[in-house]
Amino acid sequence: MQARWIGLAAALCAGAALAQAVPAGYPADYAQTIAAAKKEGKVVIYSALDTKAAQPLIKDFNALYPDIKVEYNDMNSTELYNRYIAEFASGQGGADVMWSSAMDLQVKLVDEGKAMPYASPEASKLPSWAVYKGEAWGTTYEPAVFIYNKRLVTGDEIPQDHAAFAKLIDSKADKYKGKVTTYDIEKSGVGFMFVVQDTKYYPGIKDLEKGFGKSSYRVYASTGNMLEKVSSGEHLLGYNVLGSYALVRAKKDPSLGVVLPKDFTLVLSRVMFIGKQAKNPNAAKVWTDYILSVRGQKMIGGPVELFAVRTDVDAEYTAATLNKELGSNVKPIPVSSEIVTYLDPKKRLDFLNAWKAEVTAGAAGK
Amino acid sequence: MTELTVDDLHLRYGDTPILNGVALTLERGQVVSLLGPSGSGKTTLLRAVAGLESPYQGTIRIGNAAVFDGARGLDVPAERRNLGLVFQSYALWPHKTIFDNVGYGLRLRKVSAADIKTQVTRVLEQLSLGHLGERYPHQLSGGQQQRVALARALVYNPPVILLDEPLSNLDAKLREEARAWLRELIVRLQLSALCVTHDQGEAMAMSDRILLLNNGRIEQQGTPLEMYSDPKTLFAADFMGSNNQLKGEVAEVRDGVAMLGGDGWKLAGVTRPGTTAGKPGVAMIRVERVRVAASAGDNRIAAKLITSMYIGDRFEHLFELANSRIRAYGESALNAGAAYFVELPRDAIWVFPTA
Amino acid sequence: MAADTTSIAPVARLQWLSRFPRGLTILVTAMAVLSPLSLILYQSFLTAPFFEANKSAGLDAYRFVFDDSDFWHAFLNSGVLAIGMTLIAVPLGAMLAFVMERTDLPGKRFLEPIILVPSFVSPMVLSFGYVVAAGPVGFYSVWSQDLFGAAPWGIYSIPAMAVIAGLTHVPNVYVYASAALKSLGSDVEEAARIAGASPFRVAVTVSLPLIAPALLFAAVLVFFLGFELFGLPLVLGDPEGHLVLSTYLYKLTNKLGTPSYHLMAAVAICIVAVTFPLVLLQRHLLQNARRYATIKGKAGRMKELPLGRWKWAAMALLLAWMFLAVVVPVSGITLRAFVTNWGIGVTLVDAFTLDNFRAVFEEPTHTRAIINTILIGTIGGALAVACYTAIGFATHRRNDGWSRFIDYLVLIPRAIPGLLAGLAFLWLFLFLPPLQPLRATLFSMWLAYTVVWLAYGMRLISTSMFQVSTELEEAARTIGATRGRISREITLPLIRHGLLGSWLLVFLIFEREYSTGVYLLAPGNEVIGAQLVSLWQGGAIDLVAALSLINIVLVGIGLALALRFGVRLRD
Repeated sequence: MQARWIGLAAALCAGAALAQAVPAGYPADYAQTIAAAKKEGKVVIYSALDTKAAQPLIKDFNALYPDIKVEYNDMNSTELYNRYIAEFASGQGGADVMWSSAMDLQVKLVDEGKAMPYASPEASKLPSWAVYKGEAWGTTYEPAVFIYNKRLVTGDEIPQDHAAFAKLIDSKADKYKGKVTTYDIEKSGVGFMFVVQDTKYYPGIKDLEKGFGKSSYRVYASTGNMLEKVSSGEHLLGYNVLGSYALVRAKKDPSLGVVLPKDFTLVLSRVMFIGKQAKNPNAAKVWTDYILSVRGQKMIGGPVELFAVRTDVDAEYTAATLNKELGSNVKPIPVSSEIVTYLDPKKRLDFLNAWKAEVTAGAAGK
Repeated sequence: MTELTVDDLHLRYGDTPILNGVALTLERGQVVSLLGPSGSGKTTLLRAVAGLESPYQGTIRIGNAAVFDGARGLDVPAERRNLGLVFQSYALWPHKTIFDNVGYGLRLRKVSAADIKTQVTRVLEQLSLGHLGERYPHQLSGGQQQRVALARALVYNPPVILLDEPLSNLDAKLREEARAWLRELIVRLQLSALCVTHDQGEAMAMSDRILLLNNGRIEQQGTPLEMYSDPKTLFAADFMGSNNQLKGEVAEVRDGVAMLGGDGWKLAGVTRPGTTAGKPGVAMIRVERVRVAASAGDNRIAAKLITSMYIGDRFEHLFELANSRIRAYGESALNAGAAYFVELPRDAIWVFPTA
Repeated sequence: MAADTTSIAPVARLQWLSRFPRGLTILVTAMAVLSPLSLILYQSFLTAPFFEANKSAGLDAYRFVFDDSDFWHAFLNSGVLAIGMTLIAVPLGAMLAFVMERTDLPGKRFLEPIILVPSFVSPMVLSFGYVVAAGPVGFYSVWSQDLFGAAPWGIYSIPAMAVIAGLTHVPNVYVYASAALKSLGSDVEEAARIAGASPFRVAVTVSLPLIAPALLFAAVLVFFLGFELFGLPLVLGDPEGHLVLSTYLYKLTNKLGTPSYHLMAAVAICIVAVTFPLVLLQRHLLQNARRYATIKGKAGRMKELPLGRWKWAAMALLLAWMFLAVVVPVSGITLRAFVTNWGIGVTLVDAFTLDNFRAVFEEPTHTRAIINTILIGTIGGALAVACYTAIGFATHRRNDGWSRFIDYLVLIPRAIPGLLAGLAFLWLFLFLPPLQPLRATLFSMWLAYTVVWLAYGMRLISTSMFQVSTELEEAARTIGATRGRISREITLPLIRHGLLGSWLLVFLIFEREYSTGVYLLAPGNEVIGAQLVSLWQGGAIDLVAALSLINIVLVGIGLALALRFGVRLRD
């Protein structure tokens, strides 16, 4: 295995001087794409994954394509969307590649014709739910998890599934008063998406909402905040936290525990597409193919510490390992038009109000 | 009875000495003026008495009670010295009515509202301000404001009133009237007052005694008459009145008479302490004592008239002699450019030593 | 000779400031101020982002906002917060100013710069400091828990936020109160002491009533700042879900899934509808205060009021305030910057790390943010002061309609929350072709900063300019100098030191600014302030702490320089 990689790398280096080798299994004319990409010289990426986490990917990509400079810009998913539509409207779409965890917003952009169609040679290796219209691709496999403070929540109390979570905060409301946290679904698109999916798989969701009310839950716009506060003990339990981040922190933070819910575990997949107004479309294609390739997926499942969406790669964090652990209870959120339903303001407001009503009812003890 | 005693007072701002061992006493019913050029320390002395400056040595006693004693580290704060101070700027509180301005000191002394009313009304009456109680300071004229400031300082009967350049904010004409009125009031109410002024006319008109300060020391003190007619130093002589000076060399000193000579002139005059034969000296004479003469004689010097100025009640003549100027008053204009003699009577000349 | 040339040279370099043609100056200023505002106004009457094809005109946005109970909650909270912090900050600031300005409190020279610290540290940083220091499991809370068995305070409720906002806005009152006290002749106070009033009596019955106009001005200012509060409620209001107007506005970015620019613009217009009258009121009060100040008597040197037995009470009050407003948040953030995790049962020594800083310096985005923040403060600050000076010269001692126009014009940005001003500038840079290439450069950030702080900067400049006595300028005029030459050869050299001081103050303000850059943030123009908001939202707490500390250090260096050069830290 190792030897093969070294051999390949050597071959690449040798080839780079003349023409980049076309990866195995790619159409022959891919060489032209690579040549054009090199001519473009850079690829501009807008991403919700922070630069630090993405660094291994960028380095590896540059090892492969030293002539294509990666301009990587991280911002939160809403900002990403705002910037993209504004730039698109002004005709100077700045992004060659859009990569975001806000799956619904990404799909919406594709639906509005703001993505560039591209038949990626890697697309066939992805699960079918992760490919949308041949324009957007799910790239990761990140579970939504529970987190808890290991010093203060122990033993049987640690909830293993959704029902246990709901029961715990209802039955021990005193201990957990003000100590339960989840996404602010008004502020976080990801959080909203998770609870919409929850309603599909978890009939008892209303109990949970009431429990949130009863325990005066605290909400945040991001996973990072929830991790910090649960780790410090200000809060004890976190619901629907992005597992990729939680597992990474839990590795070096002795206070933080992570649970993959046994009944069902939602899985989010970061969606990537190429901008319609991309100034470096070929470089964008090369990048996208790299991310979807075995090599890119190995990075994602390895040093990047997200989960690889491809099941045929061998890395620490992959869809395969997760599936093995949880079986059919893993519920990936499909990259499909279904998830944009709640981007309709009216439907979204109704959902939010219904959610709030249950929480308020729970707080009032009903 | 002595109301105020200051002894050996020293004060400095940083490294700059301001007062260098000043002493004074103020008897009941007396007005003492602190006179001196700017920078002489007179205002600082007044403020030190009030407790608004911190001396580092000496004593200040009000009546029998020490309020400052450098040696004992005693420094009673201003608000507990029970003095009255009239500020140069009047420092009336613009947000209080005249009545409240004047009544404030009584309120601090927990006087009942009814008593405040009677006392304030009385003092306002005394100062002819009776009808102005409800007004605010900015609605009053400068003269009225000055009287309010005085009323405010008087109303709680402090043993000593301190006046800081009380008349300097009034215009020239009003100042003369106020000076007479103030003196009358002081006499009528038997006030003991310490007054700072830089105007020697004001000091002489108002005070029983004058303290002339120079560089933080008392140069000379005495009654207005003594100060004017018997100055002990050149500084004191020069500060009071309008003067002529002639610099020369002392030829001889005998029986209280000194002979002073210069380039083509010679004068006899009264010696002052320190005048020594063979040393440089200066002859000093009040302008009003100089006479114009037609011919030569004793203590007469030939001089050329530069100009005669009409100043209302008389003429002021300006003569040139050698390298000096001599001023004299006269009834009528003289001829510019013509040669005259100026007579400097022997008993009107003081001969001081120059350093 | 050599000395001559060195003193003349900087003046020569500054001369172009006064040469700038007046008409052009007015035009550029008007465009810079009015275009973002009109864009916001226009957007508020549309049903979708103005650049989208499916927009139409209408009042939907206002209808939505006024029907939304969250808006009214936020409005109410903003009001409560503004009133609460005014009630706390004004009396405290006024007393502090009196004690510092008039009494013999020991160590004043040393204390004064510390008093001003909260006004130069980003509220984001302060609030974050409070969370890690005094939050439910903050360092101080845990220590108090260990020592006394309880930590009887909370920092997430509206009253708690009002207290924190009140305490941290004391410097805003302090600067106005102490400036007013400085110009108030000491003789009126001495007169009260002679009449027998204790220091406290003097303060309450004479000094403070006399500076009432300045205090009223400061009260309006604080109230107004309370209405615009963003960083504090963003951080402290989050956990219990308390919204204020600016965080409500920020939340609208996401509430409907896609950005609701029309709703945000409508909220912004509602905020401006409240704040602009306040700005006008402030202006009116300021003029009044100036007039009132002329009643002052002789402002001679004055012996400090001996506090006597009040000394310890005053000192205790001051130190308590300083502890709460400066020490708690700054020490909190400092501690957090050096640990991996914190909270109940965590030994800080074990958690010690330098990784947070390593992470900052390994990341080009963050190092760029640090460099940009320094650049925008130093070079950007200097350029901003140059612009303000040019505008100042366009209006200096001219009482025509254009001057009055500029007078009001510069007040407008004051009323627009920085967050929205930043968004409007983003739109301008996106949709105005000549500006497009500059969008991702520091220029966009600088322009927004310069416009947002226009009123502040203009006050600094005009204060300096008015200190030049009219007679000096008239004297030049009578001997035949033209207006331009007077500006160049009389006024400009005389206000040189004032300009240096303004530069340092603008540096401090630009270092601390955070909300204006939130939307403008683009790869290439990152600044620490806006980066902190973004990182906080993303939950990268380690980085937030490290960057915050770096920000504090930058401000500290600026403050130290300001003090070194004898700049008065106020206008």
